[in-house]
Amino acid sequence: MTYKAIIIDDEKPARDIIRTFLKELTDIEIITECSDGFAGLKAIQDLKPDLVFLDIQMPKLTGFEVLELIENPPLIIFSTAYDQYAIKAFEMNATDYILKPYSRERFVQAVGKAISKLQGGVALQPEIQKIIQSADDKDELLQRIAVKTRHKVHVIGVNEIIYLEAEGDYVMIHVKDGNYLKEKTMKYFESHLDPEKFIRIHRSYIVNAEVIERIELYDKESYSVLLKNGASLRASTSGYKLLKQILHM
Amino acid sequence: MIHPVFQNLRSISVYFGTWILLAGIHFSILFLQFRIPLNIALADSFIYNAVLCVIGIAMWYAIRYSMPGKTTGFTFIFNHFTYLVLLLVFWIGTGYAALNLLFKDNLVYINFLGLSIPYRFVAGISLYAFIGLAYYLIIMYRDLQDKAKAETRLNELLKESELNMLKSQINPHFLFNSLNSISSLTITDPGKAQEMVVKLSEFLRYSVSSNINTFTTLEKEMQNIHRYLEIEKIRFGDKLVFEFTMEPGFSTRNVPVMILQPLYENAIKHGVYESTEPVKVITDCKTFTDYFEIRISNDFDPSAPARKGAGIGLKNIRERLKLMYRNDSLLKTFVLNNVFRVVLTIPNKPFENNPEQ
Repeated sequence: MTYKAIIIDDEKPARDIIRTFLKELTDIEIITECSDGFAGLKAIQDLKPDLVFLDIQMPKLTGFEVLELIENPPLIIFSTAYDQYAIKAFEMNATDYILKPYSRERFVQAVGKAISKLQGGVALQPEIQKIIQSADDKDELLQRIAVKTRHKVHVIGVNEIIYLEAEGDYVMIHVKDGNYLKEKTMKYFESHLDPEKFIRIHRSYIVNAEVIERIELYDKESYSVLLKNGASLRASTSGYKLLKQILHM
Repeated sequence: MIHPVFQNLRSISVYFGTWILLAGIHFSILFLQFRIPLNIALADSFIYNAVLCVIGIAMWYAIRYSMPGKTTGFTFIFNHFTYLVLLLVFWIGTGYAALNLLFKDNLVYINFLGLSIPYRFVAGISLYAFIGLAYYLIIMYRDLQDKAKAETRLNELLKESELNMLKSQINPHFLFNSLNSISSLTITDPGKAQEMVVKLSEFLRYSVSSNINTFTTLEKEMQNIHRYLEIEKIRFGDKLVFEFTMEPGFSTRNVPVMILQPLYENAIKHGVYESTEPVKVITDCKTFTDYFEIRISNDFDPSAPARKGAGIGLKNIRERLKLMYRNDSLLKTFVLNNVFRVVLTIPNKPFENNPEQ
């Protein structure tokens, strides 16, 4: 049986080599090629491929952002020149992570892994350990967040964030011109946003320190944090302590 | 600056040892040559030398206050003359008064004491000159040491920054992506692959062999930029369009080596990397009397939130320009709608590092 694949890469030669290598593997059929993240996301949603060759650094949306926005992602083989994202890639359940430029053997190995996964087998992943060990394990801070509304994808720069609010299993991201829901935990944002700028003032709130107008005592145990846009958030005692520390009050 | 007498145990013992020696000579002259009684000779040599020993320590501060070069010649001479007069009056005065009080019954000695004052004047002047000279020599020696230290540190810094420059000159992702393109072209278009290998090699050679503190002609810099853009063009195809408007006569102008590449890299990173539409990188130059301008503009997608690393390349360039021309406003950036523009100003003459200043 043949499996459907999509190539998403913004560089033509990079797509060419994948296509050329795949020609010799009869199990995989390329159904389309995309040169940016948006087009890639749309193609994955519309065409429902079995396997995607995904670059990371791309216009509009990065490979990671694409993957985050898909509900039932197909198998993903990341192909990139960046070695520092390997850990993140495997955390997102990527099938493999091949570093450009790669050999034919390495490519065939990655595809083989995907095929055996598709056939229901559990692929061995010896290569992963090697990459993870050689990669720098630093949790990078978020620069932007991709969110999906009913029909559209928005990319929010972290500087635009006014505050984040816990909403059950989701987090509501409040920006100047609206709110966006993102399927992530508060803990995730707490550890992936610049801690000098985004302060967890409450179990339910993370606030951008730059938009704070003033802080008032609310009652014995808590404080009100008033923002420049008029919103008022509750801060817990521990949140207030953190605020004081970061704002050098 | 630490007092040279008190910088360590050795300097303290040398200083006080010298004074004991001087007191000994003083005593010998009085006792052996002038037949002054032992106790009086001892007292005389002790009092005079002890007072001068203390004044000698205090003189350091006067000397530090009056450095040649920092004050005018007149002030310098006037200061030293004042110090000397004060020293002599105080030194000889206190010595005379004390000894006169102690031994006023010994008329022979008191007479001798009065007669010896001119000699003590001469001795005082010589000792003053000697101590002053010693202090100046110490200050000079220390200055030299400080300068040598500063120079070593500066050289270290320079090497460090050169190393960092070199690292930042070649973006590893540019390199690996280019190599991936070559890898692809070897199969799809070997001729083009060969061409790209040559271009990439030339680009790398230029980047690696360039000494970051030197100048080159604008022609050579532009050749390198063409190589760089052509490599990127193979990667991005029609998405990258470039245009150059160079007036004749520009090619022989001097520019710091590798000053342009980071600007183009920046244009490509924020223009081409983030865009799905073709991005035009336009370069033109303009001459003024004392300087000329290179202006590079690129389209960009203003809706794409900034990725990290934005501005680091530009910051490095600004820093280099500042070091080479002592002017930190040579690189300006403008954003107009969806066009980003950098204006690089290159003065005709670099900053001359004048050692006299």
